[in-house]
Amino acid sequence: MNWNIANKNFYRQGLRAFLNVLVTALSIIALIFMLSLLNGFQAQATRNLVLTDVGGGHYRAPGFDILTPTEWEDITMPVPDVLGNLLAKDKAEVLVQQGQLYPNRRLFPVQLRGIAMDQSLLSLPLAGLKSFEDKPGETIPAVVGVKMARKAHLKKGDTVVLKWRDKGGAVDARDILIVDVGDIINPRIDDGVVWLRLDHLRSMTDRDGEVSWVAVREYLGPVQGFEFHGIEILMSDLLALLRQDRINSKILWGILMVLVCTSVFNTQILNIFKRQKEIGTLMALGMEPKRIVSIFTLEGVLGALWALVLAVVLGVPFFIWFHGVGFDVTHLSEASFPIRETIYPDYQPREILVSVSIVLALSIASAWVPVRKVTRLDPTLALRGRAIT
Amino acid sequence: MSETLITLERVSKVYQVGEENFTALNGVSLEVGKGAFMSFVGPSGSGKTTLLNLIGGLDRPTSGSVLFQGANLENMSREQLAAYRRDNIGFIFQTYNLLPVYSVYENVLFPLILNGLKESQVRERVENMVVKVGLKDQINKKPAQLSGGQCQRVAIARALVKDPLLILADEPTANLDSENSYQVLELMRELNHEYKAAVIFSTHDEKVTRYIRREVRLEDGKVSWDKHRNGSEIET
Repeated sequence: MNWNIANKNFYRQGLRAFLNVLVTALSIIALIFMLSLLNGFQAQATRNLVLTDVGGGHYRAPGFDILTPTEWEDITMPVPDVLGNLLAKDKAEVLVQQGQLYPNRRLFPVQLRGIAMDQSLLSLPLAGLKSFEDKPGETIPAVVGVKMARKAHLKKGDTVVLKWRDKGGAVDARDILIVDVGDIINPRIDDGVVWLRLDHLRSMTDRDGEVSWVAVREYLGPVQGFEFHGIEILMSDLLALLRQDRINSKILWGILMVLVCTSVFNTQILNIFKRQKEIGTLMALGMEPKRIVSIFTLEGVLGALWALVLAVVLGVPFFIWFHGVGFDVTHLSEASFPIRETIYPDYQPREILVSVSIVLALSIASAWVPVRKVTRLDPTLALRGRAIT
Repeated sequence: MSETLITLERVSKVYQVGEENFTALNGVSLEVGKGAFMSFVGPSGSGKTTLLNLIGGLDRPTSGSVLFQGANLENMSREQLAAYRRDNIGFIFQTYNLLPVYSVYENVLFPLILNGLKESQVRERVENMVVKVGLKDQINKKPAQLSGGQCQRVAIARALVKDPLLILADEPTANLDSENSYQVLELMRELNHEYKAAVIFSTHDEKVTRYIRREVRLEDGKVSWDKHRNGSEIET
């Protein structure tokens, strides 16, 4: 009987009930959309970082720190056999040195990255370097990213003076030729980075066979003289940023929840106020106050269930469509995220289930809290519509 | 007098209105027998509705006792009072107080369902009651589709269908025109005769007083006289 009364009362509310259901449904959709987009963003950002820089981790020369460029030159080591013998698809040897460019008579400190041309572990737009001899000629071929090119006012075909120091400390300078401006998704290997052939950089710095690190597909165990930096360490800054994003999303989630709860709470308050006489009548007919509370709470449950249905009806087509078109984030090229493409949401069933359950539980609780006072109502005042003023 | 159904012993009810106390009932004592057809009359604020509420277990007296077949309502919990109303009392209100989402049939059925009966068990009983109050053709209509007189008939059917010992009717004709008032009163007299349920009106409608067998007049929360149609009269 409780269900029957609640059901009829719920539909009697008409537009008010529908608007409540709509707010809750839209909040569910917004919540799933937000979380799934964030999942997609995180997945693509980490994947891009792995594909362009991190691989499965780095075996690094001990003490090498990308944030201390003055020490790079001295922290290089010959590649040990265990790494050197890996297939080109499983490793990428990288030598990092400091240099200075002089575009338009300005000094532009850069990171020189030499990478083996046969490697296929990392995905980088360096095809333009492959056709050159393994010894640099009068001009050294180089590739820069779009961001670097814009900052240094460089374009394909430009030559610019590069100065560097070799292993013995001697300073050398030569023209480099920008053979290509590559579309590098990951800004931290674009901004301030000049890409060279590994054999050229080794030759220029007199560091034959040496590397700063070797990126590998997977951890191979300890390697004598090298220290292994796993994905978590190499992506710690990004992961911290993504964790912060999660926190921010929780704040948004909280705001959405407050909106849903307020809407349901408000409707219930109005319901009780408008239906005092009905409550008084039910009491006079002998219905226990607790049962009246159940009826009103059931109305809230009905609202939550309909919200779920509406969320499915509106949300599923939207999510399917959005999964096809994605979300264009090319504007992030100026940001520090390793992502500059279309993001596709990543729907996690467990996360959706938990989120929807929480929304439903909160909206039911919001429907229950205001009707608890029914148990304390004076039936004689309720019958006259004066129990709640 | 017939077997006693209700006994009021020096019942007082004091309401707090702001910082002042308002005495709605002041030491009222009386007895109501089974099958009574009576009314509390008196001007507004004389305590008629308060007395009905106390008898109906909707309110508790400030002092004194209300006994139903010897059981003191004062000793009952809220749940027990709800059960007392559910099992024994039928209410008829001035504003009908029908459940707006329910049809005539469902409104009349409602008290029986509250009493734990299944619809299949009582369908015929409900339909008969609806026929008895003259609403056979309106059985599936909602209260909003009925006239005031028809609504009050539904309320009467709802009050009677569970075969209560007592019906409390608070100004049942106040919102009705003369013709409908007479029809409702006639119906209630017939049903009182047929079902033997005691009926207590609270009213200041003179039409009602023509029908009842006993009239208790209240003034300033006290019984000023208690008049029986058989000629006996107790003036207090």
